[in-house]
Amino acid sequence: MAQEDIPERIPTFEEEVSPILKEVVDSVIGPNTTYNHSKVGVWVNQIVEGCMKEIRALPMPRKYIVNCTILQQNGAGLHAATSCFWDNEADTSCTCTRSYKTLVVITTVYGLQL
Amino acid sequence: MATVAENFSLRPNHKKKFRAPVVKEIMKKVLQQKLDGQEYHPDNVTNYTKEIADTICARLKEVGWDRYKYIVQVVIGEQRGEGLKMGCRCFWDSDTDSYAEEMYTSKQLFCVATVYGIYHY
Repeated sequence: MAQEDIPERIPTFEEEVSPILKEVVDSVIGPNTTYNHSKVGVWVNQIVEGCMKEIRALPMPRKYIVNCTILQQNGAGLHAATSCFWDNEADTSCTCTRSYKTLVVITTVYGLQL
Repeated sequence: MATVAENFSLRPNHKKKFRAPVVKEIMKKVLQQKLDGQEYHPDNVTNYTKEIADTICARLKEVGWDRYKYIVQVVIGEQRGEGLKMGCRCFWDSDTDSYAEEMYTSKQLFCVATVYGIYHY
């Protein structure tokens, strides 16, 4: 009964994906970035594509949806809700919200098992 | 989700695929019904988002597409002239899976609803 035979603990979806999201958002949008209407489209694309590249490389075969919302901070309120009709044991999601001085970035990843 | 013993196909019948225009219509009706004449108050908007998401999900189940999983996302924000950009990337089977989106705007608030339909093989 060698110790090497015992498999490592399988990381949860959240543990695998959360650091990826944080890293990608931080690399695209630094703490000194100001909201710029003409660049927002580019930022959203960069964040979403960057996340998808890393997430696709994860070992478990799943279908993924990566969603990113960038909102300008000017005192207005925002609410978001998600309702899912899926298999609670097989499918999960992970959300990461980052606030900066002039903008807020909300990134969500949904992973659905085949 | 019901399984039919005689049916062993891995793909949905083309008549029973996720159709974006049908879902868009459903979302439009729900948004208009729930948000017409409403104002943005932090207390009740939380309930609106949840109600709208749950209502759309319930109506989708009634459409009767077999073996589909749905993700309904609803975002409601106050109209103050701020900028907002939403984007998404999907890693799926584009033959069977699709999405639909609908926006609703009024003087006090705006609402964006997105539905993703994923086929379960």
